[in-house]
Amino acid sequence: MAEITVDVWLYGALARYGGPDASKSFANLAVSVPEGTTLRGLLEQISLPTSERGITFIDGQLSAMPGLQPDLDHTLQDGMRIGMFDRKSMWPFQYRHGASMVPELAQALDERGLHHTYE
Amino acid sequence: MWLIRINMADRSYTVEKAPAAFETLGGRGVTSTIVHDEVPPLSHPLGPSNKLVFSPGLLTGTAAPSSARISAGAKSPLTGGIKESNAGTAWAQHLANLGIKALVVEGQPEEKGAYWMAHLTWDDQEERPSIEFLPADDYLGQSLFDVFPKLYERFGERVTIAGVGVSGEYGYANSGIVYNDNNQRPNRYSGRGGMGAVMASKGLKFIVADPSGAPRREVADRELFNQGRRKMREALQEHAITQPKGGLNMYGTAVLINILNEAGGLPTRNFSSGRFEGAAKIAGEAIFEGIKDRAGEEVFNHGCSPGCIIQCSNTWLRPDGTEHVSCIEYESDWALGANCGIDSLDDIAEMVRLCNAYGFDTIETGTTIGVAMEAGVIPFGDGQGAINLVEEMGKGTPLGRILGGGTEFTGRAYGVTRVPTVKGQSMPAYEPRAVKGIGITYATSTMGADHTAGYTIGPEILAVGGDEDPLDPEGKAALSRAFQATTAFIDSIGHCLFIAFAILDIESGYEGMVEECNGLLGTDWTTDDVVPMGTEVLKKERAFNEAAGIGPAQDRVPEFMTREPLPPHNQVFDVPDEALDSVYGEL
Repeated sequence: MAEITVDVWLYGALARYGGPDASKSFANLAVSVPEGTTLRGLLEQISLPTSERGITFIDGQLSAMPGLQPDLDHTLQDGMRIGMFDRKSMWPFQYRHGASMVPELAQALDERGLHHTYE
Repeated sequence: MWLIRINMADRSYTVEKAPAAFETLGGRGVTSTIVHDEVPPLSHPLGPSNKLVFSPGLLTGTAAPSSARISAGAKSPLTGGIKESNAGTAWAQHLANLGIKALVVEGQPEEKGAYWMAHLTWDDQEERPSIEFLPADDYLGQSLFDVFPKLYERFGERVTIAGVGVSGEYGYANSGIVYNDNNQRPNRYSGRGGMGAVMASKGLKFIVADPSGAPRREVADRELFNQGRRKMREALQEHAITQPKGGLNMYGTAVLINILNEAGGLPTRNFSSGRFEGAAKIAGEAIFEGIKDRAGEEVFNHGCSPGCIIQCSNTWLRPDGTEHVSCIEYESDWALGANCGIDSLDDIAEMVRLCNAYGFDTIETGTTIGVAMEAGVIPFGDGQGAINLVEEMGKGTPLGRILGGGTEFTGRAYGVTRVPTVKGQSMPAYEPRAVKGIGITYATSTMGADHTAGYTIGPEILAVGGDEDPLDPEGKAALSRAFQATTAFIDSIGHCLFIAFAILDIESGYEGMVEECNGLLGTDWTTDDVVPMGTEVLKKERAFNEAAGIGPAQDRVPEFMTREPLPPHNQVFDVPDEALDSVYGEL
């Protein structure tokens, strides 16, 4: 199966999943995965337990919040930028209302309401 | 409580009981009311008719957590409209401890260039606050880092200080009012809107406060008050963002750098991109790790004022482990970093230090430098060049005086069209083209572009936005209106806006906030009263602005944002004018 490469950014405590070359505060990895891989598959490949991530972006679109991860089945495309934060990170609602988000999260927020954390 | 009026024309003052109408008002509610009622809207901001009003929040000076807030209000030399600029500092508590509801600075001395200090103490015999005026000429033209130790040596370790730096003496539209932090450092600011120049225009250099001997504040229903503050404390300590060693205590407000960068909403190189390649090097995570490396141990953040349990302020260190500056906030980090294409925390720290030394608003300074870079004065990314520009501002050179006039003024001086301002005030660190909701708040706020104007408290709790799609323009406008009103309420009661995180997610925290107020004041407010009370403040501010010539036509983002797509999302700001007009049209 053809491979694709995604641009993965791991911030804060997640930098430790970025390999030996990562700085202590962030890591940037080019990760090759089979075509059709989902975010779940990417997390497995880099051995990052999904419970450790909080705010997540897929190509600049918000896809997960602490305690709310409707993005695990999101299929990755070649060249996508995936940004993942530890659970201490935050994004106050007034600074994100109107920001782009993936459809899965938009639907989940519609059901769960607007909060800073869902834990 | 007391209403004190200082007349700087002859250094006289009056102390009278605050009007009954102020009993349930504090902070922004008081400053905006007095400015609305007493300042001629068409007066010159630096002339004798303008008034500078200080008011601590309703809860300030009590044991309510994270409530040491001061509001400074006046007609702004930056925007030409009403301004309230809020800060966290022990000075706010001292004003409240002295029983002061409002301190109004009026008039202007005839002596050009002469300055005084006001020494504010408690008069045991008269049982009211008392003021002694002292010459301040010995403290002019100096770094605040040199002046503050002299003031503490003269007046004692226990006093607190409000004052202005050289930026105010020069009359810059970019000049803040400085207050001490918990370590007697001059680094807490009513930064925005040029309030420092207003204070200096009155010939007032410092207000030194000492509440020794003042009686304890009365609490109408101590049991209810204690119940409220316990709920608030528990919510703050439980929430992941505000709890000890949580997001703010560990990474500080600059935790948002990487977030906004990933979202494509971190204004970069004078708002020409939403993503900065050097973001991760200047972000809150990098600050935490950088301090850890240089200190040799993990260092969690400290509070800006006594009684704060969130504690989000960092202290950046030099490579040898000595203190460089406290603190690198998100807005400062972004304005002097990403917005100027600078990815060195040491350069950013030096500019923050200089801003604190001279009395500049870090946001306005960074956006001004960004426009100067756009104009070719220095290249983007030139850290040392940017430091030199801040020095020019502090020294009052001809170039420095142009830059000290602010972002819009600098844009005019150099013929720049990409100037990120609304109503003359520059935008903070959220790109309206990527986060359109905040663009609505920037455009419509009574304060000019202001990130703190639209703080949220749960729209569900407020039953606002429930019937509207928050993603369509009308829904966004409704939310912005609700946020601006709730922000005005929090600014009035004196809590730090960061309580909003916890009380959005934890309903008992929201109840606690209202119970604190009811316990203190003997009122019977409910959570439903928050928006209407904030709305009353906004109406006064809006009325002042309209009388000053600032109406709906000024509720717009700059034209370039409607024409230039912003990478990486390649969006323009396309919120219809009708939606913008509805924010205040339906207030």
